[in-house]
Amino acid sequence: MSVQSLIYAILAMGVVMLVLRVIPILFKKKIKNKFFNSFLAYIPYAVLTSMIFPEVFSSTSGVVSASIGVVAAVILSYFGQSLLVVSLSSALVVFVVEQIMRLYL
Amino acid sequence: MSNSNVKSDYLRGLKDGVPIGLGYIPLAIACGIATSKAGIPFLLSQLMEILIYSGSGLTAAITLFKGGETVVIMYALAILVANCRYMIFSMSLAQRLDPSMNLIERILVGALNTDEVFGVVIKEKGYIKFKYFLGVATMPFVCFALGNALGSFTTDLLPDFISSALGIIIYAMFIALIVPSAKESKPIFVVVAIALIISIIFECIPAVTQFLSAGWIVILCAIITSAIGALLFPVEEKEEV
Repeated sequence: MSVQSLIYAILAMGVVMLVLRVIPILFKKKIKNKFFNSFLAYIPYAVLTSMIFPEVFSSTSGVVSASIGVVAAVILSYFGQSLLVVSLSSALVVFVVEQIMRLYL
Repeated sequence: MSNSNVKSDYLRGLKDGVPIGLGYIPLAIACGIATSKAGIPFLLSQLMEILIYSGSGLTAAITLFKGGETVVIMYALAILVANCRYMIFSMSLAQRLDPSMNLIERILVGALNTDEVFGVVIKEKGYIKFKYFLGVATMPFVCFALGNALGSFTTDLLPDFISSALGIIIYAMFIALIVPSAKESKPIFVVVAIALIISIIFECIPAVTQFLSAGWIVILCAIITSAIGALLFPVEEKEEV
């Protein structure tokens, strides 16, 4: 593919992304349908959960360190720690677990 | 609204966006490496990163390019299919944005939204203010652009132990977004449990993982789950979930 048509392809993809992301936001009218409103209210939790599992188990170099990282994140967030504390602590836990495994296993 | 309030909304958002930014770094480096390996010039790789600004979208684009696809419309279609979920995110966002946002602000909100930014801002109590959104979206955008640039100039990934530890950050952040709400609200707890079960079922059906990309599996699972949630626990008008 020539550089010129690659530029066209990139611009076309940019336009599609913009349409997908922006058009629904421009509608200011509030949705009155109770079912659809409830549906939209639950979407974030449903999306987040299905994005976590099962992908999280392949996010680090092994299932063991990832699982321990998940447990750490669940415990810390259960006790009300902030996003930053939970995510950095979980990364630290993964790091420590992997170093220990490297040394002893 | 006073100036200090405006500033603190932005700073509060900036702080909430840090884990997303950190999590994007290994992802963006991987995208940069993939584009440079595919032979896409650096400036075009950056332009593509900024205009598409979605990991799944970039992956689809790079895959097509490497496969030698020359028809422009095919790229547009691939992006459309890979990123349909953004329409649902934006619909959900539209219901929660500060009504005083002007057109430019709304366009920026749409353009800077990602799965992760959406997950964070939607948890705001009441209306989502523009300054807060911009704060959350800043670090992810900067980190993705820098990571992509870095990846274009390096031939190797981050050291294994670093990318492995960074790899869990986004998922840990998702967990931190879900757990407190699931703890306080029974409907959300049930919705999370249903999503988990459906995710596991999908993972176990070879036909699903074979024919649907990860993005489609997520959206399918989310639509089924939210529909069940909406039937079981309808949300009253003005009620916070």
